[in-house]
Amino acid sequence: MATRAPVRTRRAKGEVLHDGFLRHAGFRWLKTATLICLLSIASYMLVDVTPHHNGGSWYGYTMGTIGVLLILWLTLLGLRKRAMTRGRWSLKAWTSAHVYLGLSLIVIATLHTGFQLGWNVHTLAYVLMMLVILSGLFGIAVYATLPAALSNNRAEMTQVQMLDAVRAIDRQLHDAAQPLPHDKAALVRQSLEQDPFGGSLLARLSGRYPRCATARAQAALRHWTGDKPDTGNDPLERIDALLERKQAMLARLRRHLRLKALLEIWLYVHVPATFALLAALTAHIVSVFFYW
Amino acid sequence: MSFLVRQISLTADGREIVRAASFDKGQLSLGRAAENDVHLPDLALEPDHARIEQADERHIRVRAMGTLGFGLDGRTVLRAEIDTAMGAELRFGGHRITVSRDEDGTTILSIRRVDAVSEASEEKEETKVFSLRGLLPGKRLTAWGMALAILVGFLAIPIWSYASRPANDTRNIYKLVGDKAWSSGPLSQAHHALEGRCETCHQKAFVSVRDSACQTCHKDAHDHAPASRIAMARAEPGLGGKLLAGVAAAFGKPPEGACVDCHREHEGAGPMQPAPQAFCTDCHGTLKDRLKDSKLGNAGDFGTSHPQFSALVQTLPGKYPRFSRASLDGKRMDDSGLKFPHDIHLSMTGGVAKMARTMKAQYGFGDALACKDCHKPTADGVRFLPVSMERDCQMCHSLAFEKIGGTVRTLRHGQPDQVIADLRAYYRSTGPAQPVALGGMARRRPGDYAQGQIYHAWFGAVAARPSRADDAIRAVFSKGGACYDCHTVTPPGANGNANWQVLPVHQPMRYMMNGWFDHAAHRTEKCESCHAAAKSHDAKQLLLPGIDSCRTCHGGEKAKADVPSGCAMCHSYHGGDGAPWMPADRSAKRDEVDRPRNNRGD
Repeated sequence: MATRAPVRTRRAKGEVLHDGFLRHAGFRWLKTATLICLLSIASYMLVDVTPHHNGGSWYGYTMGTIGVLLILWLTLLGLRKRAMTRGRWSLKAWTSAHVYLGLSLIVIATLHTGFQLGWNVHTLAYVLMMLVILSGLFGIAVYATLPAALSNNRAEMTQVQMLDAVRAIDRQLHDAAQPLPHDKAALVRQSLEQDPFGGSLLARLSGRYPRCATARAQAALRHWTGDKPDTGNDPLERIDALLERKQAMLARLRRHLRLKALLEIWLYVHVPATFALLAALTAHIVSVFFYW
Repeated sequence: MSFLVRQISLTADGREIVRAASFDKGQLSLGRAAENDVHLPDLALEPDHARIEQADERHIRVRAMGTLGFGLDGRTVLRAEIDTAMGAELRFGGHRITVSRDEDGTTILSIRRVDAVSEASEEKEETKVFSLRGLLPGKRLTAWGMALAILVGFLAIPIWSYASRPANDTRNIYKLVGDKAWSSGPLSQAHHALEGRCETCHQKAFVSVRDSACQTCHKDAHDHAPASRIAMARAEPGLGGKLLAGVAAAFGKPPEGACVDCHREHEGAGPMQPAPQAFCTDCHGTLKDRLKDSKLGNAGDFGTSHPQFSALVQTLPGKYPRFSRASLDGKRMDDSGLKFPHDIHLSMTGGVAKMARTMKAQYGFGDALACKDCHKPTADGVRFLPVSMERDCQMCHSLAFEKIGGTVRTLRHGQPDQVIADLRAYYRSTGPAQPVALGGMARRRPGDYAQGQIYHAWFGAVAARPSRADDAIRAVFSKGGACYDCHTVTPPGANGNANWQVLPVHQPMRYMMNGWFDHAAHRTEKCESCHAAAKSHDAKQLLLPGIDSCRTCHGGEKAKADVPSGCAMCHSYHGGDGAPWMPADRSAKRDEVDRPRNNRGD
């Protein structure tokens, strides 16, 4: 690899042009991984294992050994990412290799199984590995698409500014609602007392909050104000306008939370599943040679 | 008789600001409305929420105006009487009112807003609320939890289960679960009773399954060949095979040739699969290259690389027959000692067919004779019984020579001495007074041949009209006589014989001694599709089909033939006389085998 395309390598060293870890060094690791996959598939087809392909054949052992070494190396990204460096073995290069070699593991490990799957610790390890890879794939997908949406949604506000905007509206709502009778004041209070960061994980990921108290308060309020003319001095009109603003602000905040959640959620699968995989892999290897 | 109301609020930097107001009256109103004495801008309160009254010198009474009530020392009440000397804490919505009393008897109400205006206004930790922390258990916790659970469930428990097995294991296999998760697949039908008892085969940890484990039960498995010859016969493994052998040796696995090399387990429930062809062709595919002295041809695949069959044929018939193995290539001869033209018997026209038609009702013949009319299968249907004169020929070829009362006397088949004796006795007792109406086979009339009809067997004797027993005997044994038509007869004097001799007939039931052919499995085929009997005019012609005939349906294990056939379909590795081992998946067919079959379709 090192001898190929020296010009590009130099440029990568100098970091003149920015390209992300996916395009790093002209897709060097994508090409490498593709080559590995093609070689694996071709050898799987050509090698005649008796009676049929399985993890215990010489081909199976080879694939299994490559697979486990790859898994261990891929896991090391967790350590490597804490030290950012530049150059050929920069963190970016490492991440690029992590992504593409990780994807090639789908082929290597599947060929290692010889397509023999069942309800056992061996398949457990395989399933966990696939879970790790697929969650990683999801991670790449959101990293590639969501940051732009996140930036657009923020409209140059920081997170704290977003929160402060909600707080300011809340204070105004609180003041404006003071003259209201108790039942109407209770509606406003519901909106105030609902945590904008509340809601289940599902609500966070979908961005849908069907029990939004602000929306409910506004709907109920409009029930009263709907058939009255806007005289300009009805406190309900002012509250309605405030609730409108709060809803808009909440929508922006919730979109922000949703995008951030999507950017984070895969790691909650990727990392624990990796550790589970290492455990299952240990059990898989020990069991195979224990009852060998 | 007065109240001191102290409203305490906090500045942004946490400093307290106290605004005090004195009320010199016995009752204070409290609520959200601005006109109240104690105005608390709190949406949780009603506009006119409560009254605070001086009850007596030491006590005040607090009473809610609506139904919402207030908190008193943590409980929600609608009214309360409070000893100001003792003090109390009241809670109105987001406000806390501490009740106390100063030295001159003034009731002090210290009011403090304790809840923020809204939930959003509460203090928030940015990194926490804007992330998924709090919504999900921590990554580290999940990671270690899952890893630990897997190590316990799939490593520790199985090992513990292995270590804690009783020496005399009589546990129910369905209750053993400890190391079940380690099994790479269910065991085959035959070994199902061992499911969960891993140590039956995997006797020691980290030691591969040994032949001795198999031989605990399979005590009588033959060796295929002497171990030294097998070692010589095995092809040099490829690069991969060497790698595997290296790994195997490094982990202490015995060299190739172990039982488990061919008999793979954990390949799924159901019948165990026969050993794949590749296990045989490792040696036999190029056997000649290594075992120069072998008489076996190379066999790599039935469809493409398999030598012509060799049948065990009789080269010399007689009392001491001689056999030799002969390839089925070219014209094959097998001399059983019998004379028999298949073509005449199977012809659709001619005397035999005519005769068969007249016997339809009695013997179930068709318009002409068919194979099944003379050849009867063995009970298992695999082969055919030798043709028997009494059962299969005599209905046409009668040996009767006299009728006494209602009883027909016949010559004894297979006992020439008895034939001679019987004939002599016949002449001695009756004399040839009346020439008997006899004829050779060619001259019989339909209706006059069957057993039970009076009818002479001494065909030649008829023509000669013998007057003496010796003439009759000579006639029977000579050309044109009853015996001579089917048997090779030697007259007295030849070869030093004192008497007439009939060459013994030996009909083999099996020609392929190292391969297995099962007629029952080919019941759907017609006999003629393999055996060209209708064209054979000489019993010496061997009617066995060659390999080409088989290959019209059978191909190698992975061939696209109608019947892909691995080596194990016909050959048995452990060299027994019986059928090669096959998966027992044909329960229906086995039922049929058990039932006797009288009339076979083929």
